[in-house]
Amino acid sequence: MKRANGSLLKRSGDAADRSVPARSAEPDGSPSARRRSPAMLVFGGLSGVVLLVALGGEVVAGHDPAAIVAAPWAEVASGLPFGADALGRDVLARVLAGGRDLTLTSLAAALTASALGVAGGLWVGWSRGRLGRAVAGASDLLLALPLLLLALLAVVALPGPAAVIAGTVLGGTPLTLRVVADATAAARQAGYVEAALSRGETGGAVLLREVLPAHAGLVCADLGQRMVLAVQLAAALNVLGFGPAPPAPDWAAMLRENLQGLGLNPAATIAPAVALAVLAGSVAALSHCLVARDGLS
Amino acid sequence: MSRRGLTVRGLTVTDRTGTVIVDRLDLRIAPGEVLALVGPSGAGKTTVLRAVLGALPFGLTHGGGRIEWHGASVRAPRRWRRRTVGFLGQDPASALHPLLDARAAVREALPRSARAGGAEEQALAEVGLDPADIGQRRPHQLSGGQAQRVALARALAADPELLVLDEPTSALDPAALALALERVRRRRGDGRSVTLIVSHDMGVVSELADHVVRLDPDVRNDVAPRTPVRLEKTRKPGAGGEPVLEVRGVTIAQPPGGLPLLSDVDLAISSGETVAVLGPSGSGKSTLLRVLAGLHPAEHGRATVAGERLPWVVTERSPAAVRALALVGQNPLDVLNPARTVGAALARPLRTLRGLSRRVARAEALQLLATVGLPVELAYRYPAALSGGQRQRVALARALAGGPAVLLADEITAALDARTAGLVLDLIDTLRHDTGLAVLAVTHDPAVAARADRVLQVEGGRLHPDPCSHHDDRRPSLDAL
Repeated sequence: MKRANGSLLKRSGDAADRSVPARSAEPDGSPSARRRSPAMLVFGGLSGVVLLVALGGEVVAGHDPAAIVAAPWAEVASGLPFGADALGRDVLARVLAGGRDLTLTSLAAALTASALGVAGGLWVGWSRGRLGRAVAGASDLLLALPLLLLALLAVVALPGPAAVIAGTVLGGTPLTLRVVADATAAARQAGYVEAALSRGETGGAVLLREVLPAHAGLVCADLGQRMVLAVQLAAALNVLGFGPAPPAPDWAAMLRENLQGLGLNPAATIAPAVALAVLAGSVAALSHCLVARDGLS
Repeated sequence: MSRRGLTVRGLTVTDRTGTVIVDRLDLRIAPGEVLALVGPSGAGKTTVLRAVLGALPFGLTHGGGRIEWHGASVRAPRRWRRRTVGFLGQDPASALHPLLDARAAVREALPRSARAGGAEEQALAEVGLDPADIGQRRPHQLSGGQAQRVALARALAADPELLVLDEPTSALDPAALALALERVRRRRGDGRSVTLIVSHDMGVVSELADHVVRLDPDVRNDVAPRTPVRLEKTRKPGAGGEPVLEVRGVTIAQPPGGLPLLSDVDLAISSGETVAVLGPSGSGKSTLLRVLAGLHPAEHGRATVAGERLPWVVTERSPAAVRALALVGQNPLDVLNPARTVGAALARPLRTLRGLSRRVARAEALQLLATVGLPVELAYRYPAALSGGQRQRVALARALAGGPAVLLADEITAALDARTAGLVLDLIDTLRHDTGLAVLAVTHDPAVAARADRVLQVEGGRLHPDPCSHHDDRRPSLDAL
């Protein structure tokens, strides 16, 4: 995909590089080319805050998220900034506490899917063997199967979090594998890889020390995409009722529980929806910034 | 009439930090005229071209000024480029679409009306390619030189009103360059064509250009005072004696196992000697170096390094044999890992090849930088902050890290301007003199061939000694020192 309009991209990189030496007289010799953009700081900070709230929100919640503190569907009032839900529980406390399991599950799923995809992609892109091509073909075949169907099969066979991990691996790993395999195959021809090979470095050392660092931005951006997929999948399965058992708070389960009271206390539905959207959106935006920084899009 | 042609008024280009790259540049090229843009690398020549074409790369902004074509501002640069511009970039081979074969690549550049009747074949034939043989090949099936010619055919096919050539002297091999320059000569004075050339070759510029515009950056600090070479003197200097590298009856095929590209190569290099290999594009010169570097298997034949048999697979070589040969590639764009600082790139071979500890390797890396005439601050930079010439010198320093006996130099000056190329060649000459480094150089550059002790020519799949190389006037002047 990069190569398709390679002329402009490749030249643009060169032209930008050539412009640098004229102004690169920074006294500290800092790596000026790896500057962070303001957008990346913003989205990186936002992602960090969302993750922090999702993981540690329960501590600052104030109420026990399962305690009944008001009348059912109580409207927004002082002490109840988001009102109460169907059973009269504090919505704010439930939103603060309801993201931890979902986020942890999604993180684990994204890391697993991405790690498998990166390892497979490095191997497939490097080996060029018949077995590698077969693996790439099989993973492409996996992409052709409907993901939700696979996830539903997984959730019947496995407990909720394991099903999210299995679904993300089935739906996300082939994508990571394909992207990383393409990047690795292209890097095989690069001068720095040939230099490393000709000084006797083994294939594994070249992959880990040269190819993987050179594509770290790509891999991180891809991890972000896998995280978004995992959040979507976890939310979908939890909305369908495969998540934590009822008294436990969960953003996705709150959507289902509180939808019928939308007319009475809209905040009870909107707050968890916004929480889910900000979590997925900030990770996706951060991933986009990483891609843009590496000049891939 | 006076407003026809290309006019650039007060062109200003700035980068993301607001630094001015191009400052209020004025250009005017009338129909039938050739304008040359000259200046050292890093002066912003390519940036000017891209600004004129309305295709500035990400991160650079058009700060001011107007680009006028036949007296009117260019409003839709994309359509204007398609209709009127033929462009040949610095790395033309990489500009070809990987999925289009040569014929389709040329066809795409032709206006719709001219596509019938074998115009593609004619354009390919005009640049010296056989359409029947080359037409169906995609870029990865072409040699570097053939790909350059396809890109040239693409730029010239439609007989564009505005032809833009970016460093044609370094981007093209001499034969293709002659074709391109002949075309520019014909365009000159025809009352229609406008030509813009970026070049550092003053011979070409003074012969062809009606106007010369010089760009000079304010600060130039990429060349530090050279410190004396302090590599380990493990070998005796001076040519003659036992050959350090000997190749007997080697046959090379590309792809491995396919038709032979080069047959029965016999070659012996003594320490301190430079051997240049010349030949047409696609004749297997680079592959020969890759075979010696252990990156490509040979079909037949054997090689010895310092009397020791050299296995073709690099992992089967003894540590001494691995250290003895060092390859320097031709493309400064990817010669260094973008994710590693210069210091880390140099420290790694020092640790693996010389077995130095991390701290000693770091210190030694600074020494290597000084050896190739670069300031030590560069050790903390990433390659993206280096110019092409700086990167090529870092690559040379990395190759020297293991203290090689033979340097395998693959077109190392191809992408450098004349001044930087001269510095790199001087440096190699000094190393030859001081440490007895032998050099096997594949090149199109007459400046490299002129410094060689012997010149070999690839012809018809064989390697022949070049009779010209026996003339004394081609001997390197530096050997007299």
